[in-house]
Formats: sequence, C-alpha cells, structure tokens
Amino acid sequence: MFFALTDEQQAFASTVTEFLADRFDLEAVRGVVEDPDGDGHPLTLWKGLADQGALAVLVPEEHDGLGLGLVDAQVVARALGAGVAPGPWLATVLAAEAVRIAGSAEQQSRWLPALAAGETVGIVALRGEGGAWDGSGITVDANSAEGESTSRLNGSASPVDYPAVAGLIVVAATDASGTPGLYLVEAGASGLTVRDQRTYDGTARVGAVEFADTPAEPLANGDAAAVRALLARGAVLNAADLVGVAREALTRTVAYDRDRNQFGVPVGSFQALKHALADLHVAVTMAEHAVLFAAHALDTDDEGAAIAVAVAGSKAADAAWNATGAMIQFFGGIGFTWEHEAHFFYKRARRRAPLFGSAAEHREALFVATAL
Amino acid sequence: MDLTYTAEEEQFRQELRTWLAENIPTEWTVPGYWATLSDTESFEKRREWEARKTAAGFSGIQWPVEYGGRGGTPAMKAIYDEETVRAHAPQTVNVLGLTFLAPTIMAIGTEKQKAEIIGPMLRNEVIWCQGFSEPGAGSDLAAVATRGVLDGDEYVVNGQKIWTTNAMHGDKIFTIVRTEAGSEKHKGLSMLLIDMDQPGVEARPLKQMSGASEFGEVFFTDARVKAEDCLGEIGQGWRTAMLLLSFERGASGVGQYTEFRRQYDEIVAEAKRFGRADDPVARQELARCLVELECLRYHAMHILTQVEQGRDLGSESSMTKLQWSEAFQDLWEAFEHVLGPEATLAAPRPDVDLSPFHAQDHWSRSVTIWGGSSQVQRNIVAERVLGLPR
Repeated sequence: MFFALTDEQQAFASTVTEFLADRFDLEAVRGVVEDPDGDGHPLTLWKGLADQGALAVLVPEEHDGLGLGLVDAQVVARALGAGVAPGPWLATVLAAEAVRIAGSAEQQSRWLPALAAGETVGIVALRGEGGAWDGSGITVDANSAEGESTSRLNGSASPVDYPAVAGLIVVAATDASGTPGLYLVEAGASGLTVRDQRTYDGTARVGAVEFADTPAEPLANGDAAAVRALLARGAVLNAADLVGVAREALTRTVAYDRDRNQFGVPVGSFQALKHALADLHVAVTMAEHAVLFAAHALDTDDEGAAIAVAVAGSKAADAAWNATGAMIQFFGGIGFTWEHEAHFFYKRARRRAPLFGSAAEHREALFVATAL
Repeated sequence: MDLTYTAEEEQFRQELRTWLAENIPTEWTVPGYWATLSDTESFEKRREWEARKTAAGFSGIQWPVEYGGRGGTPAMKAIYDEETVRAHAPQTVNVLGLTFLAPTIMAIGTEKQKAEIIGPMLRNEVIWCQGFSEPGAGSDLAAVATRGVLDGDEYVVNGQKIWTTNAMHGDKIFTIVRTEAGSEKHKGLSMLLIDMDQPGVEARPLKQMSGASEFGEVFFTDARVKAEDCLGEIGQGWRTAMLLLSFERGASGVGQYTEFRRQYDEIVAEAKRFGRADDPVARQELARCLVELECLRYHAMHILTQVEQGRDLGSESSMTKLQWSEAFQDLWEAFEHVLGPEATLAAPRPDVDLSPFHAQDHWSRSVTIWGGSSQVQRNIVAERVLGLPR
C-alpha cells in the first residue's frame, strides 16, 4: 500500500512551485490580471514550464515526452493552481491527451512533440453554451463529403480556454448519425472565428469558438469513448488546479489570522474562526486525497474510475469554492479590495468549479453510477 | 501510488474470508439481527464467538506473537477490519481493552501486568471497561474528581464514572483516579486497574435515546485496589491516559468505510422502495454523503501508508475522527431527509422493518461526542495542525 506521492513526484512539485515563486509570483500574476486586453499568456512563464517538462508530462517518450501519468500531471496542476498561474497549460495538456488517446501514428508524430515542447499551444473545445460535460452538450456538427478525409465543422463551443493563442484546437463534434467524435482544427482555418468572452477571472483568457464550414481533420480513433476519456482527464486535472487554489487560499488565510490582532489578541485565537478553518483543512485534505485517487484510477484503468472522477470533481470544486470564500471573509475588509490577492483565488475557483462538470453534475453522475 | 497489498497479505485475506464464511451463521447477516436479542444474550453470543475466533488465530492481528497475537502487518489489520465487516461479524465485546489498554500495557506495563492481563483479555475471559469520563469531567477530562487514598498497600477509591461502555458486563476497569489529595488538573492522577467484582463497585445501565444500553455508570464506594495495580507510575496518570488514547490512531477507516458504505446502499434501497430515488434533491444529498464516505476510504489508505512508513500521525487522528464521525452522522441525516415521514416509522409497510435504521440513526448522534467531541477535535486541528494560537 502506497497512497502518497513518491520522492520524485514531490521534487517535481517543488520545482514548479519554486519556479513560480522565483519567476512568476503574485506581482507577475497581477500584471496579467490588470491587462485584460493582453493575451494572458506570458512567454517567460510558458517557456519556463516547457523547460521543466511540465507540458511534456503525459506525452509518450517516443514523441519527446516524459511518458508519465496523471498522478504526475496533477502535481503540476496543483502547483499552478496554488500560484494562480495564467496560461494555457491545462488546455495544451488536454489537446495532447486527445491526440495521444485518439490520434493515428501520423497525427501523433505531427503534433505531440510540438505540444510537449510548448511550440504549439493546444486547446480543447468540448461543450457548447448551456450544455452538459458528458458528450451530450456538444453543439458542433461534423460533415464529411463522400471520399474526403477532411470534414467540415459548423456550430460553436463555449467557454473555451485561450482560443486566441491556440495553434491547434481539438473539437468535439457530432457527425450526421449523432455520434460524437474528435476533430483537429488549425489556427487560421477558414470559417473559424474566436470571440473574447471577457471572463472575470483575470488569470485566464476565455472565448467562444465558432465554426462555419471550417475544415477539420478527424482524429483517427476519436469516438464517443475518446470524448469521455478526455472529459474525465479534464475533470481530474481541473480538480487538481482547484485543490491547489484551495490549499493556498487556506494557508494564506491561516497565516494572516495568526498575526492579525483585534480585541488585543490574534483573530485566529477565536473559535469562530478556528473551527471554520479546521473544517476547511479537513475538506481540502480530503479533496487532495480524492484527486490523487482519481488520477491513479485513470492511470490504471480502474473499473471504479468514473466514480473516482465524480468524487474528485465534486469534492475539489466545493473545497475551492468554500476555501476562497472564507479567504475573503477571514481577511476581513482588506480581502475585499482590488489591491489584495484574495480575489485572484476566489475568481479562479469560481470560474473553474463548473468546468468539466459542476459539483452537482458530478454528484448526479456519482448517484447514477452507484445506485441505478 | 500503489494501492495493492502484498501476496502474503492477500493470502491472509483468503484464509480469514474462508474462516468467516464457515463460522458466521446465516441469521447473523440479516440486518437488525443483533437488535432482536437481549443485551445479555447478544453479549454472551459475541463473547463466545470471539473466543473461537481467537483460538483460530484471528485476533490480535498486529500484536506480537509473544502476547498471543498474530504478528501481522498494519495492512493485515486493515484487511481484517474490512473482511469482518463484510462478513457481518459482530463487533468485539472487549473493544476498549483490545484497542487501548493492551497496547499501553505492551508499551509501559510491568512484566507481571503483561503476563497476567493480555492473554485473558484476548480470550475474552476478562472484559475491560474504561473509567475516564465523570459527570463533571467530559471534554475537560483533567477535571476528574474520583479520588484514591492510600491505605497500606492499597488505594481506597471513591467517586463516579459515566458513559462507561459495557459497564454491566465488565470484569475490570482501567480508571483515572486522583491519587494525590489537593492536586489539580493534569497532576496527581493515576491509572488504576480496578476489579469490578467487589462490594465497593456498583454498575448501573444508562439507557440511551435509542433505547439501548451500551453505556453505564460505575460508582466507587470505598472500592479497593492494590497500589501495584497501577499502569504507569503513580501520579503519572495523565501521561498514561494520553499514551493510551493515542492508540485510537490504529482505528481503521477501511473497516468503517465498509460498514458505512453498506448502510448507504441500504438507505438508497429504501429510497427506491419508497419512490424517493427519482427526486434530484434527494439524489444530491445522498451523493454528497457518498462523496464523504469515499473520501474516508482514500484517507484510510493514506493513513495506512503513513503507518507503514513508520510516521507519527500526531494530531492527524483528529482529522480522521472528524471525517468519519461527521460523514456517518450526515448519512443518517440524509436518511431522514430523503425518506421523510416514512423514515420515522418502524413499520411503514407490513413487510418493512426500519427499526434497525432507527438504531443507527439515533446512535449517530453519539459519535460526534464520545472520544473527543467534534468541537474538541476542531480545536486540536486548528491549534496543533494549523498552528493557530490558543
């Protein structure tokens, strides 16, 4: 029995955390937050992550990747969440996962090395406005003319992370028979439109992607199962980011409440705060366990993986939601100001919580998977 | 991450599973079976069964062989907890002795205590009670007032203990007594091992809100105990008590998960029976409970890993207690919310008996109180884990 990170995995986490502390701290994050017209994709950060192998973690070694698993990838996601780091890391990792899972050998050779090196930014467009995150919420149609290898996409996907800087878009679309599949669209393709949707989370850039007879290349094995596999991986890595946000929000709040004096004593000595923070510590710890377990379940094709993903998705979303709300409350008035960093954590948690399935959607999936 | 057990551990699982299959009567697996027996009948049946289990080599899983144990690994203890729950084995009748007293004696007991106490306890020949709480000393355990006065080579003990599990069946009781007159708080206490079969000790049952009487009160009126029957040194009772309570960390979340998950599935089955499983609000509440139970399972694997690595869990045990006790209580709240008026009826239909559910439901109110209340646990997590000021 070994339910923990290995020494190597802990070292990997430290490398990313220390890199962010040295090279992309909260002042740098603030620079991105306060420049909403910028692309939200600082190249110093991107290159640094690429140098550390953070983009190559899931890519097989034969395609210049590290050939590691989701347990390793969630280490990076947690560190980026804790640092409220901007950039299309998750989007690019998921695009590479799509190509790894469903691409032909030729598609893999063409895209994986570039995605692993950070030379190409990849993104995923898996759901349409108002839709569910289970493959049923796709609002893009794919049509293939007789004898042609290229399909034509029509429709839209929203919200999509970092569409403006993407070189490669992995699109979930349904074909004429209603079957979901995965398609590759390259930047600059005809009929491709990106509209910035101006998210309140300044640590990301989000847009709607529209397709009008846009040429797309089907991923060779991009069937409904591949769409579900990609959504599950997205759910776990997004949950890992949320867990990182939650832990850091809690740690910062505890540190502040140890020192902040009112009524002549540290406010952290009051049980009203202590008990709330203790409950949050338990909740965040359980969410960390759940993400780790779900990542391992997917890595090992465990038969209970769908249940594990639902548990992790709901627990992490709730933990991040609650920890970042508490951060503002327990910093008091200063935590409500623009100058303070609490709103970076709060907004990131709330933007990400519904992605790849909200807490409630994950609970419904969990109930269905176990009871019906 | 490696969530598998070794071949030797899986071999142990198979042996235990086979023995349990051959030694658990079918009627025991019917929900609510034990509630159909009187308290004494239930106790004697369990006592006898457990003695057979010990003879077969399936007790004291992690204890050293020299104490009659199996000399197994922490993982084997987790497997034992999981398999016994799965097979509907009854709970041990000697839980406080086996969980707390035995490891404390192995750690700091005299040779005489080791030789005389552990074997009979393991064979259920001697049932042990715990004499800690008093009417005036609950969460504030150091406020104990039961006093012991030295008279020759014996202490004469007067006072009252309460919430004593198995009080009516106990043979002996490990008791925190104030042996230094005029001492206060943590000082001047001793852990005395008192024979309950004497005129100066009277046990009375305490009927709980569920109607059962798992607890009792124990009254000491000039009860006598030899000064040598003290665990740890005289006057060092607080230290002994803290060491003793630290062994709760061995409590296995794996077994608890298995038990609570079965209860969750039973509640879902009732929700379906009464047409409540299609309600999205009910489904959300049930799924919330399952999320917490699954987290308990993951946490148990994490704790087992820490134990196998030889790490001191310290105050992390308070987090474990909070997670399992609150999740268990929430599960039974969900039972009430989801089933609505039917939840309150023992016989909502002629062929449906919900009284075993009511027993668990009402029991669930106790688990956030005993063994350190949730409020005490939150203080511990806040102060010793998060480092918030006292």
